[in-house]
Amino acid sequence: MSKEISRRTFIKGGVAVGAALAAGTYFKWEGKNIPLDVREGNVTYDVLIIGSGGAGMRAALEVAKQKNLRVAIMTKMVPTRSASTMAQGGMNGCTGVTDPEDTVESHAFDTVKGADYLCDQDAVEYFTEMAGKTIYEMDYMGYPYNRQKDGSFHQRKMGGSSHARAAYYADSSGHAMVHALFEQCLAHNVEFISECQLLEIVANDNKFSGVVAIDMRSGNLISIPAKSVIIATGGYGRAYWIRTTNPYSSTGDGIAAALRIGIPFKDPEMVQFHPTGLASNGVLLSESSRSEGAYLLNKNNERFMQKYAPKQMELATRDIVARAIETEINEGRGIGEGLHAAVYMDFRHIPKDILLERLGQVYDLSKRFEGVDIATQPVPIRCSCHYSMGGIEVTDFKTTATRIPGIFAAGECSCISVHGANRLGANSLSEVLVFGRTAGNGAADYVKKNASYTGSKEELQAARTKWQEKFAEATQRTSGPSVVEIRDKMAETMWYKAGVYRDEKQLQEAAVEIDKLRAQYQNCVVGDASHTYNTAFMNYIEVGNLLEVSKAIVLGAIARKESRGGHSRKDYPLRDDKNFLKHTLVFKDGDTYRTEYKDVVITKYPPQERKY
Amino acid sequence: MMIITLQIHRFVDEKNWIQEYKVELKKGMTILEGFNEIKAKQDPTLSFTSSCRSSICGACAVRVNDNAELACEVLLESLVNRYKTNTLVVKPLGNFRVIRDLIVDWDPKYEKMKKIDPVVEPKAAFSPEKGCKQSIEDFDKYKKYAGCILCGSCVSECNKSALNEKDFLDPFIFVKAAKITADSRDRSPADHLRAVVQAGLWKCLNCQECTAKCPKDLDPAGAIEKLKAASIALASDGSVGANHAKAIYNDIYTKGLLDESKLAVQSEGIFSAALRVPTAYRLMKVGKLNMFEKIPENKEIHQIRQLIDIAEKEDK
Amino acid sequence: MKYAFFPGCVLKGAAAEAYTSMKKVTEALGIELVEIPNWTCCGASHAQGVNDLAALAVNARNISIAEHMGLPIMTVCNTCTLQLRQAKARLDEDKELRDKVNDILKKAGHPYAYEGKSEITHFLWVLDAHPELLAGKIKQKLNGTKVAPFYGCHLLRPPKVMNHEDGRNPQSMEKLLRLLGAEPVEFDYKLKCCGFHAFFTAEHDVLKVTGKIVDNAANAGAKMIVTPCPLCQMQLDMYEEEGRTATLSDAELPVLHLQQLIGFALGFSKEDMGIERHVSGQYKVNF
Repeated sequence: MSKEISRRTFIKGGVAVGAALAAGTYFKWEGKNIPLDVREGNVTYDVLIIGSGGAGMRAALEVAKQKNLRVAIMTKMVPTRSASTMAQGGMNGCTGVTDPEDTVESHAFDTVKGADYLCDQDAVEYFTEMAGKTIYEMDYMGYPYNRQKDGSFHQRKMGGSSHARAAYYADSSGHAMVHALFEQCLAHNVEFISECQLLEIVANDNKFSGVVAIDMRSGNLISIPAKSVIIATGGYGRAYWIRTTNPYSSTGDGIAAALRIGIPFKDPEMVQFHPTGLASNGVLLSESSRSEGAYLLNKNNERFMQKYAPKQMELATRDIVARAIETEINEGRGIGEGLHAAVYMDFRHIPKDILLERLGQVYDLSKRFEGVDIATQPVPIRCSCHYSMGGIEVTDFKTTATRIPGIFAAGECSCISVHGANRLGANSLSEVLVFGRTAGNGAADYVKKNASYTGSKEELQAARTKWQEKFAEATQRTSGPSVVEIRDKMAETMWYKAGVYRDEKQLQEAAVEIDKLRAQYQNCVVGDASHTYNTAFMNYIEVGNLLEVSKAIVLGAIARKESRGGHSRKDYPLRDDKNFLKHTLVFKDGDTYRTEYKDVVITKYPPQERKY
Repeated sequence: MMIITLQIHRFVDEKNWIQEYKVELKKGMTILEGFNEIKAKQDPTLSFTSSCRSSICGACAVRVNDNAELACEVLLESLVNRYKTNTLVVKPLGNFRVIRDLIVDWDPKYEKMKKIDPVVEPKAAFSPEKGCKQSIEDFDKYKKYAGCILCGSCVSECNKSALNEKDFLDPFIFVKAAKITADSRDRSPADHLRAVVQAGLWKCLNCQECTAKCPKDLDPAGAIEKLKAASIALASDGSVGANHAKAIYNDIYTKGLLDESKLAVQSEGIFSAALRVPTAYRLMKVGKLNMFEKIPENKEIHQIRQLIDIAEKEDK
Repeated sequence: MKYAFFPGCVLKGAAAEAYTSMKKVTEALGIELVEIPNWTCCGASHAQGVNDLAALAVNARNISIAEHMGLPIMTVCNTCTLQLRQAKARLDEDKELRDKVNDILKKAGHPYAYEGKSEITHFLWVLDAHPELLAGKIKQKLNGTKVAPFYGCHLLRPPKVMNHEDGRNPQSMEKLLRLLGAEPVEFDYKLKCCGFHAFFTAEHDVLKVTGKIVDNAANAGAKMIVTPCPLCQMQLDMYEEEGRTATLSDAELPVLHLQQLIGFALGFSKEDMGIERHVSGQYKVNF
């Protein structure tokens, strides 16, 4: 992050800043969150990565292996704050160390079935082939795996998996991954461009030039030329605002940026509602709660999963459990009322030392936010939007390339599609690692083949100037609806009309409401005119992204006239392979959205009825 | 319906001021929810960092009444009860440079972390293809320290860092070092230990602020003690701190009690200790230091020595 | 009230006045102290950094002797209190560890096993829990003298072990001072660290903070500092002059052991309380 400043660059920098200050467009730089080269416009990255979560850091480490490529990770926060830290259960991968009967095919089939047959099976085969190897690799990188007697990492069984194949660290598997990767990034001196909010990926006429971002600290707009970019910005659960397990940062920034340059949003309607979020604030209670044996009870103390998934019970897939909970609540067998309705998760039959050893975080969260000691009382839970199966369309799973050359996407923001209509627990951490690595290699190979920069620095500058004006204009408005008002209305519309259960009428209403909000957004008030770390402006950008994402979710949900995985239509309650065994692709062209379809790749597993 | 007042230290564009906000205390309201409420309904300019709101990403630590708290998990009501007041003073974390309002600069901390080579370098027997092997007992030795979320609470009231952070490390870096040196997969804990001693391990004041503030109960002060013991066990630690600790330990072995008159010499060596003569004279004048006093041997010193010998053997 | 007394090393050495004044004061208050026979140094947090198991066994031995006496333990040094309580907490929580340590005690020929029967408390905590001990005994009011209470880290933290009161907002000293007739002074450095344990390793910093504490207390209007820890007392008293140099301050305050201030309130003289052994501000102690 800090480099030797030679006298020449110091003067150059001084002159640049001086000239810029004179031009009234630059502010004093603040600290060292951005490499000097970036500030001075002295660098064209070979690979620029947006997002410092699991996929982003893994990609960077892969590129860093090639000593002669210049790579950096750009993040809107500081490293280690990503949603990746919140994953609890583990990372799936076939190794056979705990269950010698496990096979790659079994993992693939479980994933395909879990996805309700909407995933691309060639990608799934690649994924499951690599997932086991990834666990060994992470062990070597210092990941603190829970162990078993023979000294191998231990693997446990997660929902929808037919074998025990999730390696983990206590109940903070994602947190451990982020810190293991960050340690490696520090050791390899990976460059970070921190606290920079992505504004635009510049790619006019399919020609990628670089990105424009705002340095939060100084308020300076920066444009960074790059030969390739890996988008790893995570999910979009905050479209539902408080009704999500996702952190405040999950605002679909990369997906919105990709939409604006013609890359479609694949399967946007495929949002996973995690069954067990705390009733009071939506915070996730890990699926390992159920894999360690917790029961789900309605207000009559019945283990209601008997009715919905008699064989797998609480360990059926998330969409099945989520709908079961919603149905119980809708039919009056929940506790509490309205938005606060819930069902119970019961741990009382599990020995306390196991609870503290393997579910320490679950124990703590229940105590703190619900005041419940799960060793002696059941805890109230309900659904929260948890994961974004949909995302940036990836056209080649072997490189994570999108349809614009030089632009790659990995992690939750991408849709390869490995998770199809529903993601299995513990497949996400494996995905970010497998495809983070793939993206790193993909981008590196692309750059090596196309050695020179083919973007346009003029276009980058023009985009930067445009955003400078936008910043000034947006932050100086004093009358109009507030960003928060728009955000809250969006969340309400999305939860009630594009939530766990959907139908045509409500979806059409939602589309109209979202359009209204998008119009209002053009005149909304940011409320903070400062250039120094303007978090109100950041939130304004994020809500803008969420509005575009929400529109796409609604359009995708309207287009898919069937129920599949996490997408449930009350008016089309059955899965319709004949008409809808295909991906939804939502495009944005200027201000117009359109929907197309794309075939699902089927290799070994013809669609069957999905019963657990 | 309780109304609480948050007096928040603001800092924007080089201007410092304290701004008062009143918030209605709802049931289960955390500090972070208080901030969100203010930002959404009263003042969009109030700036702070947060992400997961479930105490795992470490983004939201701040100081309330001069004590670090993880904003997303601490209930405002608990603070009202602790300080017996409806008015709470909110500041950014201590021992960090402030960028704006409650947002602090983490970059220098990451640079410091690099000093201890913060990564496991696996033994030769392991490989990326086959992974590593580690017993459950060995995993238990360091697993706690892998829970650090880099929230910075431990350094906020660190008494040593407040006096001079240049020749010391933030407690979370010591925790990272303790994690790596206790990880049996690593090929050379000695290298990490040497780096840690070099970076100021023995300058810790043992004030326990870090342990008191850690929201994940990692006991950084305890991690520092573990690093010290590990460093001494290497037998290559000739620092003043190590000598001082060994002197006390040896006094217990020899006499059962501390021999203050010899402590300086044993810790610093005769030449450095000689520089303390003026202070020593002052102490001798009031009778605090008697260079000729012989500390009596504890009557059960043989059992005490046995005890220590056996414990040392067991510890291998 | 009867306690097994654990004086700690410095009460036998440099802080002997803390020992003599403690004997006089507890006698006057009707607290019987029976010194633990053949007690050893608690390790002072330094032995713990050499060999943790050995230090733990040493303290298990100390505690077991008191258990055999059938008495709870009282200390007057913060660090001793922390080391003993930490040892107790670990041994009580972890049966495997306790068995291991008891095995060591046995093999070493120590006659008693650690059983966990004795509580370990500090003199300040006893008085805080039993203010009635002072009832009717306060002969000479301290005339509202402004006194800065300096708690000392190891009596306050970590909160799980040192849990008599909330270490972030303790009130025991303030309450006691008011009861004695003094006026407690609020000052920024009340809960900070005197640096005693790092005197050899971070001397420059320690002398700086020594100066800051005294200066800060004086600026807040205090006429003296009182502390329940003899290590803090030694640090602030013995090195007050160096502290002034390091901070360019001219503050000079006497630093009293808690039991000395109580002694004055009970009517004892400067001689009784051993003030002549203080390095700084002896002449300023007048009641």
